[in-house]
Amino acid sequence: MIGRAEKIWLLLAGLTLLGAWLAETAEHGWLLAVTVAGVIVLKGRLVAVGYMEIGAARALIRRAVWGFVLAVPFLALLDYRFGDVVAQYTRAALH
Amino acid sequence: MPGRVPGNPGIWVGIFCVLVEFLLLFNVYFIARAHNPEAFRHGPEKLATVAGTAITLLLVTSGYGMVKAVEAMRRDDKRVTLRWILFSMALGFGYPVVKFFEIRWNVSRGVDGAAGIFYTVYYYLTLNHLVHVFWGLLGLGWTAVRTGLGAYSAADHHGLEAAAVYWHTTDIIWLMIFPFFYVLR
Repeated sequence: MIGRAEKIWLLLAGLTLLGAWLAETAEHGWLLAVTVAGVIVLKGRLVAVGYMEIGAARALIRRAVWGFVLAVPFLALLDYRFGDVVAQYTRAALH
Repeated sequence: MPGRVPGNPGIWVGIFCVLVEFLLLFNVYFIARAHNPEAFRHGPEKLATVAGTAITLLLVTSGYGMVKAVEAMRRDDKRVTLRWILFSMALGFGYPVVKFFEIRWNVSRGVDGAAGIFYTVYYYLTLNHLVHVFWGLLGLGWTAVRTGLGAYSAADHHGLEAAAVYWHTTDIIWLMIFPFFYVLR
C-alpha cells in the first residue's frame, strides 16, 4: 500500500525527472525561470512539511525553513529578471 | 502536537546556521550571475545532467529512508529502524561516488574550477554542500550505532529525529543547487 511518505517520494522523483527533461530541452527565458522557481518551492514544501514535519513545529522553525524555501527561488527570479540592476548596485562593492 | 521541536533544539541551531550560510552562498551565485549572464546561460551545457539527476534521486530516496526509520522507531521496531538508517546511509554514500565520477568527467573535458566564473561558483557551492552531506552521514552513522545499542525507544528518539531533520535540510539545499546549475539557463 502506498502511504504518505511514498506519495511524497513519487512526487519528488517525478519533479526531479521533469527538471532533468527541462535541463536537456528548455530554452533560456522567463518561462523556464518561473517553472524552476515553482518546482523549487513545491519540492521544498514537500520535504519540509512531509518529511521534516515542520507543520507541527514551533513557529520559529516553521518560519525559518519555509522562509528559506520561499526566499531563495524568489531572489533567483528577481536576479533573473533584474540582473542588470543587481550588477549595477553591486559593481562598486566588487571593484 | 503543535509547537513541538522536531529532533532537539541543538540541531536546529545548527540547521539555522546552515540555512544562513547557504543563503549567503546563493547570493554569491545571484551576484555572479548578474555580472556574467552569458556565462551562466551557457554554463549548464557542459555539465552532466545525468549526474545532477542521479544525486537528486539518491538524496530524495535517502531522505525517504529516514522518514521510514523514524516511523519504525515510533512503533518501537528497532530492527526495521536500523535497516532504514543503513538504507539511507548506503544511498547517501552514493552521492560522493557520483560526484567523484562527475568531477573526473568534467576535468577530462576541461571543466575545472578555473574554466570560468560559472564553474568556480558551481564547484564552490556543490563541494561545500558535499561537506555538509558528510556531516549528515556521520550523524546517520551515529544514530545507526545508537539504534543498534538500543539507545532509542518509541518514547525517546530525539537524537534519531535530529539526524533525520538535518539530513532533510541537506536535501532541501540540493533541491535548489540542482536547478540553479544544471537546469536554469
